Amino acid sequence: MAAAAATTGAAPAGDKVDWRLATPLGLTYLVFFAAPFLILLGISFYADAEQTRLGLDSWLKFYTDRFYLKVIWDTLKLGIFAVIATTLLAYPLALVYRAASPTWQRVLLFIILMPLLTSVVIRTFAWIVILAREGVVNQTLMGLGLTATPLNLLQTELGLVIALTQIEMPLMLLPLLTIMNQMDQNLVDASRALGASKWRTFFRVILPLTLPGWIAGATLVFASATTAFISQSVIGGARLVYLPSLIWQQSMVVYNWPFAAVASLTLLFTVLAGIMALSWLGRFARTT
Amino acid sequence: MTKLTRRDVLAGASALGLAGLAPRGASASGSMTAAIYPGTWEEAYRAVVAPALKKASGVDVAFDSLFAVDQVAKVRAARGVPPFDCFVLDPGPAAAARAAGLFEPVDSSKLTNAPKVPAGLITRDGVTCNAQVVGIAYNPKKFPTAPKSWTDLFQSPFVERLGLTGFQTTFGTVSLIEMCKAFGGSEANMEPIFTELKKAVSKVAAVAAPAAMPGLFQQGQIDVMYTNTNTVAILKGRGVDIAFAAPASGAITFQTKLHIVKGAENVANAHKYIDVAISAEVQNALQRSPYNMIPINKDVTYVDTLDIKSIDELAKMVTHDWTRINPQRAAWIERFNKEITK
Repeated sequence: MAAAAATTGAAPAGDKVDWRLATPLGLTYLVFFAAPFLILLGISFYADAEQTRLGLDSWLKFYTDRFYLKVIWDTLKLGIFAVIATTLLAYPLALVYRAASPTWQRVLLFIILMPLLTSVVIRTFAWIVILAREGVVNQTLMGLGLTATPLNLLQTELGLVIALTQIEMPLMLLPLLTIMNQMDQNLVDASRALGASKWRTFFRVILPLTLPGWIAGATLVFASATTAFISQSVIGGARLVYLPSLIWQQSMVVYNWPFAAVASLTLLFTVLAGIMALSWLGRFARTT
Repeated sequence: MTKLTRRDVLAGASALGLAGLAPRGASASGSMTAAIYPGTWEEAYRAVVAPALKKASGVDVAFDSLFAVDQVAKVRAARGVPPFDCFVLDPGPAAAARAAGLFEPVDSSKLTNAPKVPAGLITRDGVTCNAQVVGIAYNPKKFPTAPKSWTDLFQSPFVERLGLTGFQTTFGTVSLIEMCKAFGGSEANMEPIFTELKKAVSKVAAVAAPAAMPGLFQQGQIDVMYTNTNTVAILKGRGVDIAFAAPASGAITFQTKLHIVKGAENVANAHKYIDVAISAEVQNALQRSPYNMIPINKDVTYVDTLDIKSIDELAKMVTHDWTRINPQRAAWIERFNKEITK
């Protein structure tokens, strides 16, 4: 389908799109992304916080200390967990959405989009109220007699993944719903008619056909979960250190800008690595 | 039909140009920008200080709401073209800003209220506008007897309900130093407090960012924390069960100062702003609910919601030398990060 879109979407020969149309955005990126990026790279090669001497000290300190390596791994892990959790919840919902009548599709779409209409700060703080010791979840569990003492949900990786799953869910759902709706029902029907079970149809037909949508969604969720500074610091607390809060601490509190620059570049590479891994999965996609 | 000559157009244009310039010039002499802490400080300074300044000298003040560390980072990043004229800083970030040479000297002869402020609170680099008192905050409904000392926080039943925060703020740093002293250490030897933190960290109710602590207390996630009297009074005003307790070794005090930013555009107006902020009228209004700020003007009688009785009481409290603390702080922060993370 992507290939079909590419052929119909391509400009007719002789009516070439002028590359100069991209100049305004290109220049903006050059000034506001490429230049600061080079400055950041430059700062990372200062050896001391006062930026008086050049050297690889900041890089060496970051990459030889097990604590900082664990911070990288934890950040990656958080992104992976968020992608897994949103995937497990988004696919069933997307299948329901596909089967629903147009009216119900509109209702579902509105419900899915609703979280996006609230600021991420408010959504994060709402999760404190829900997950706290005296919050909704614990009150309910204790009221039902399921637990005698309140569960510790805030300030845990589990609590953070739960909150991020809700916060990032629309980013996974929107691309998935779009591709689900474009999927050819005949292929699904054919698979069932030829005797494949529901699960086999899902894994052999639906999944490969919707993979490009999932990859788009997973990329957005991964990039957004690994860099979710507010949610990570408010729900995760100080015992869970991730790259964004480390960058904030080193640049704003400790004033060690070279070290913060190394952490920033590491975060950038981490997110890029995740995105590249996801786009590598794209080769398993079936478009027709 | 009216004929428009080139000369008319030029005359009109220059008149417009002048008109455009004139009010800008006037407003430049009657305005300034001050950084202010978000939350209560911003509300207080907008509601009390800004109108008082306008009334006293016709100067309009715009506020840039930033935490202390963000103010210093922003001015450092601006490299000589500061985005505001006046800082408000606690001693920790102030020491960092001083070391980076970010302060313009304050001329105390321009401050009419200077004689009303105790000696030592006005220096060449800043003017104290408010005192902060730090100690233990606890929930009196959960704990009928208050924690009596810093060491109590690390013992049952308090430790299980304690909210810990690290060295990134002034109040967090000074509290941890006092805890360290209570366990036999000092600023030069922080080993005892790290030992205790390591033992406590698996038991405590939360380890969180300083700004998150009041919210966690309000939600019942924690019932004991170390914080300033200002936060306690604000939470109490919102109906939260909270009380302040000075530890046996004494409550800690430090000063929040207003500083003029190096290279500031409106130095004269910044002096006027500082002068109004320390005036008896403003200081009296700022100590009342919902602001609860401890006054430093000798003419102000303390209201009874402040948890301290008079300005003289401050002199008996524990103070710290930030020139000794700051060089070690980055290492303490790193160690805190490493030892308390899961």
